[in-house]
Amino acid sequence: MAESFPVKPKLRPTSSKLTPTPEAKYWRSFKIPKDIETTPSKSFTFPINSIAFSPTAPHDFVATHSASVSIFSAKTLEPKPPISSFSDTAAAVSFRCDGKLLAAGDLTGTVHVFDAKSRSHLRRLKGHAAAVRSVNYPRAADKLHLFSGGDDSVVKYWDVTTEKCVFNLLGHKDYVRCGDTSPISDEMFVSGSYDHRVRVWDVRVSNSGSVLELNHEKPVESVIYLPSGGLIATAGGNFVKIWDVIGGGKLLYSMESHIKTVTALCMGKVTRGSGEEEEGNRILSVALDGYMKVFNYAKLKITHSMRFLEPLLSVGFSPDCSTRVIGTSKGNLYIGRRKAKVESEEVGVTNLQWKIVDDEPGRKVLRPSYFRYFQRGQNLKPSEGDYLIKRPKKVKMAEFDKLLKKFRHREALVAALNKRNPEIVVAVMEELVARRKLMKCVSNLDMEELGLLLAFLQKYSTMPRYAGLLTRLANKVVESRAEDIRSSDQLRNCIRNLKRDVEEEIRIQQSLLEIQGIISPMLMIAARR
Amino acid sequence: MFTGGKSFVSLPPAFSNDAKRLLVCTGNTVSIFSTSTGLQTCELEGHEAQVTSVIVVPATNPTSKVLCYCWTSSLDGKIRYWDFAAPELMKTIDIRFRIHSMVIPSLLHPRNDSTGKLPDLYAYISTEDVKQEGKPSSFGIQKCNLTKSRIVGGVTLAETRKPGHVTISPSGKYIGTCEKRKLRIWEIPAKDSEHVGYKKVRLHHTRSITTMAFHPTERVVAAGDVTGRILLWRGVGRETFSNSKSSNGRMNTDGEDRPGVRDTDDADSCTTWHWHSSEVNVLFFSSDGAYLYSGGKEGVLVVWQLDTGKKKFLPRIGSPLLYFINSPDPTLSSISCADNQIQLLRMPSMEILRSISGIKLPSSHMDMYEGFGSVVVFNPTAGLIAVPAENYRVQFYSLFDDREISQVQICERNHQPGDEITVKVNLVALSRDGSTMCTVETRLPEEGIGSLVTLKFWVCGSQKKQVSLSTVIYEPHRDAEISCIAFRPTGNMAVSSSHGGDFKVWVHRHELTPKDETVQRSGWKCHAVGSYKKKPMSTAAFSSDGSVLAVAADKVITLWDPDRNTLLAVIGDSLEPITNLTFIGKSEYLVSASASRGSKSSNPQLTVWSMSKLCVAWSYRLDIEAITCSMDDSTFAVLARSKPNGSADESSQHAEDMILLFNAEKAVPLSVWFVSKAQGGGLSFVSSDEDKVSGTKATDEVLAYINGAREYVLLNPHSEQDISRQRGFTNLDDTDTHGYASVYGELPEFSLKADQTAFPSMPSGKTWKGIFSGPSHALPPLPKLCSDFLESLLERRSGVVE
Repeated sequence: MAESFPVKPKLRPTSSKLTPTPEAKYWRSFKIPKDIETTPSKSFTFPINSIAFSPTAPHDFVATHSASVSIFSAKTLEPKPPISSFSDTAAAVSFRCDGKLLAAGDLTGTVHVFDAKSRSHLRRLKGHAAAVRSVNYPRAADKLHLFSGGDDSVVKYWDVTTEKCVFNLLGHKDYVRCGDTSPISDEMFVSGSYDHRVRVWDVRVSNSGSVLELNHEKPVESVIYLPSGGLIATAGGNFVKIWDVIGGGKLLYSMESHIKTVTALCMGKVTRGSGEEEEGNRILSVALDGYMKVFNYAKLKITHSMRFLEPLLSVGFSPDCSTRVIGTSKGNLYIGRRKAKVESEEVGVTNLQWKIVDDEPGRKVLRPSYFRYFQRGQNLKPSEGDYLIKRPKKVKMAEFDKLLKKFRHREALVAALNKRNPEIVVAVMEELVARRKLMKCVSNLDMEELGLLLAFLQKYSTMPRYAGLLTRLANKVVESRAEDIRSSDQLRNCIRNLKRDVEEEIRIQQSLLEIQGIISPMLMIAARR
Repeated sequence: MFTGGKSFVSLPPAFSNDAKRLLVCTGNTVSIFSTSTGLQTCELEGHEAQVTSVIVVPATNPTSKVLCYCWTSSLDGKIRYWDFAAPELMKTIDIRFRIHSMVIPSLLHPRNDSTGKLPDLYAYISTEDVKQEGKPSSFGIQKCNLTKSRIVGGVTLAETRKPGHVTISPSGKYIGTCEKRKLRIWEIPAKDSEHVGYKKVRLHHTRSITTMAFHPTERVVAAGDVTGRILLWRGVGRETFSNSKSSNGRMNTDGEDRPGVRDTDDADSCTTWHWHSSEVNVLFFSSDGAYLYSGGKEGVLVVWQLDTGKKKFLPRIGSPLLYFINSPDPTLSSISCADNQIQLLRMPSMEILRSISGIKLPSSHMDMYEGFGSVVVFNPTAGLIAVPAENYRVQFYSLFDDREISQVQICERNHQPGDEITVKVNLVALSRDGSTMCTVETRLPEEGIGSLVTLKFWVCGSQKKQVSLSTVIYEPHRDAEISCIAFRPTGNMAVSSSHGGDFKVWVHRHELTPKDETVQRSGWKCHAVGSYKKKPMSTAAFSSDGSVLAVAADKVITLWDPDRNTLLAVIGDSLEPITNLTFIGKSEYLVSASASRGSKSSNPQLTVWSMSKLCVAWSYRLDIEAITCSMDDSTFAVLARSKPNGSADESSQHAEDMILLFNAEKAVPLSVWFVSKAQGGGLSFVSSDEDKVSGTKATDEVLAYINGAREYVLLNPHSEQDISRQRGFTNLDDTDTHGYASVYGELPEFSLKADQTAFPSMPSGKTWKGIFSGPSHALPPLPKLCSDFLESLLERRSGVVE
């Protein structure tokens, strides 16, 4: 019965969005790191065609743009000076399995091999008659060979050391724009082409053409092997398809959630901090509609989707799950990084050491002559069966609440105004209205406080959320305190500002009315049909 | 006749001798409540008019404490003697005057008659002699011999113009009454007999005196006046009562000797205390005479230390106080509040232990604001009513059990009685299944700024125990006030109509999160907005299958498809704005009532529309207060107010309002009941519960009528047979264990396994605090202390005692 209710601002409408799932939280935790000053992101002027991560720690990554290739340090996310020994736009890039070499194809049809560290040009593989859009090193252990696919619809298998083409894998009838090597076998390769076909090649049986042919039904933009090596995912048009390669090329699922062409795929991983559920592999897909979608192929469900402002062309995810890079057609590179949990580990280590110290034998028995005797047991944790007596929680009251409780209304209003939170000020004003004391308060304000109130009114009286109360209050204040306002320069200044803002608001309202006048007949006509 | 909702606070209640029961006058009956549970245990029925006083025969020695006898007086001119433990009527005395108040002084001082023969028992009664029509009835205080069952002739202590309330001193030596600006006090002789002289004293004051109290031991009289002052006369009647030989005229009139005492009043001194801002209703001396309790309209109980005038407060009771009484048990006392609630207090610390509440009374301020129809809302299926109260709460009250179920705080404010009303809960609506409640609260503007209408949707749990807020909508119809809220009978849709010229359809949406998460969001969203020629929408109703929505737009009825929000038809053109609209059960009829609310309209109308033909079936010229229809068949009932200049056929004068039961197809009423105080009343069919109401079948509906004073009656609409009540009173002894169990609770099941675990114990410091708080001279009695003391010594098993 004798409870006191604090003054609360009005509730805001809650967004209809659900609370983020743990997965959404995970994907949102990829943020541009604060300590790296190059925000918003690395930007180049040309589209980022391809992104590749080094398979070895610290997982540097590389992005191609225009006629150059930039290597980014994984630690600082800073680009090293770009390799620009291309005569035309670089289109595809791939790291060797040990991360030491880097291969890139360009639009002239040449595949270039570089040393990843020194960035020196090592080999030049010439043989494609048209642009090379797909370059892939085998992923398992083979360091000597390389796959490339070009616009001449040929897939070539290179021996890198001798700069010679070992096989020409023929079968595609249109541009080969993508390909991926199997994660478990060095000989398996999948390529996707604009003839809607995806072909799986095995260099051990190269003579008989492709091992398997899949029809994606749209020009294939991207193809990847899933980590098991038994499934592949293909992207083309606005859908992503998942195929079972071992099972004879059966279509498992078709994900159709993008609105525009899906441009790139890559593998992602969800790591749970608590370890309650094992890590889950996800397919990240980006499309020209600016969405990045995360697809859980175990549950065949989209678990997260994220919007970017530009058409997305390429995506990469570091193998240690710390960095996610997305390249756009406008040359922006969205680099997201999760916060490392290194610090927490350190804390754990220190705790351990401290415990050892604590258990040192030979501690003195405390006696009442020593001050610690009176502090003993303060940090003691209750054991299982103890009966806890809790100190009643002290109710924290804001200053204006305390003043309202003492019926010091003017001071409460001033205290709220000093807080500079419009919601709270309006809530206090509404409480004063309920007590029939607002106008009394206004008339009691001294010059300085009146200035505070007028400044508040100038700032917020035209905001739609508060306008209902504040415009009328502004009117009343000006009416009732006209004498005082006239006598002070500062207050006259406030009034001038207020007047300007109100006039501006009236202009806006009028133009809105005009727009409404234009629209409403159209709506009427539309409703009639 | 099944009636209920009586006022609990028309008179001060009385405690039984063991302080386990509280006797409360409720209309024609006396209800007995258990003080340990707050539930009603039994009822004394017999009086035919309002009971005006109840006096429990006090215990003279410890053995007689278990005796439960009481005297009651009533306006029907009878004094009855009861054994209220049984309960059983022992004796009836017919006085043939209306009795407004009764005191029995000789009960209070022990009769140590050596002869062994009990002397006659005398009561002093404030009577009203109703004479012939036209003449004012005369009032007086008379003496009545209860043993011989007759009025003592010739003894009239006072003739007054108004019925006075007689106050008696705790010792029984004095009785007094306050009349306008003076107090009259009589001394009752120790040996009362039929012919004995009375000494009397008059004390005067400049303001009207509202209440008075006697000190238990000394000759001190306290009185409260309308301005909130408390006057304290000490040494009252020193001249008159102690020395019979000196006459009033020879009194010492020296002002210095007797500060504050007016001219010839017989008192030593008069002090004035002023804390209350408006009239004092409660004055009560503590049993040791050291403290004076006072209370008034502010809802604050003030405890004055008599010698020093120091004050202690029990604030925020939330309603004007009417009576304060203490019980034979010094740790228990009770306050009666004006909102029909009796609070039981634990005494020296003044904590509210529990409260016994009736239906909240309508606010006195409610008529001041137009459109603030704060009427009672019925939940037909559960037999509940929801009553918006003045303290920003909605009270749920069970009609069949006649007790409060729960209260819900609608807006987070504290109510201060006497303040100007600025925030008000003015509409409550319940969905048919009772699962959803909708409330509208309005904050009134200050000088035109800051008004706010808030619509809130609540989700009710089972039995109205838990009600949780679901959705809050600020200014649902901009700044226009909401006139009506109606729920769709088939669920998940509501409509709110406003005087601002539009109505909104709200739908309930569930948002289910993925199945692995348990969190579920649900809320109400606006589904559609409709208006008809910008006319003010006064009321709305859904048809029983939920397919048609009827909204009254000023003087016409618009019919809508609520799902697609399309106007289906417009019917009618009444002379006055339509105020009430109901579809009749599952029949094809719609009934509407029209009258300009507030003023006496010239053309009120009750109209029944045929929905198949979209035209008037029949109509009456009746001023309708409420309409209700039965859920299944095509009968409906209306509460009609007859005007003072109505035709002569509405015969009986005292019951000028009536309830008419119609079948929609015929214009001839099936039955008529005459009622009173229909203004602000409500009417509803309530599905009867077979267990609680006999005389009806389980499928039948009964008609519940609640009048403006919030008293209700249940009527059987289909037969002449009355509904008798079979009220399940809770047994007093069930909740009150004795001996070992009362102190330590039930013994646990003994098992060897449990003994091996560590014995959880908690210190019982609370009992010690409870025993010794308060003044040391007002210690509780030894039997009570003993059990508390033993309890505090022993550790209590937490798992056993509930």
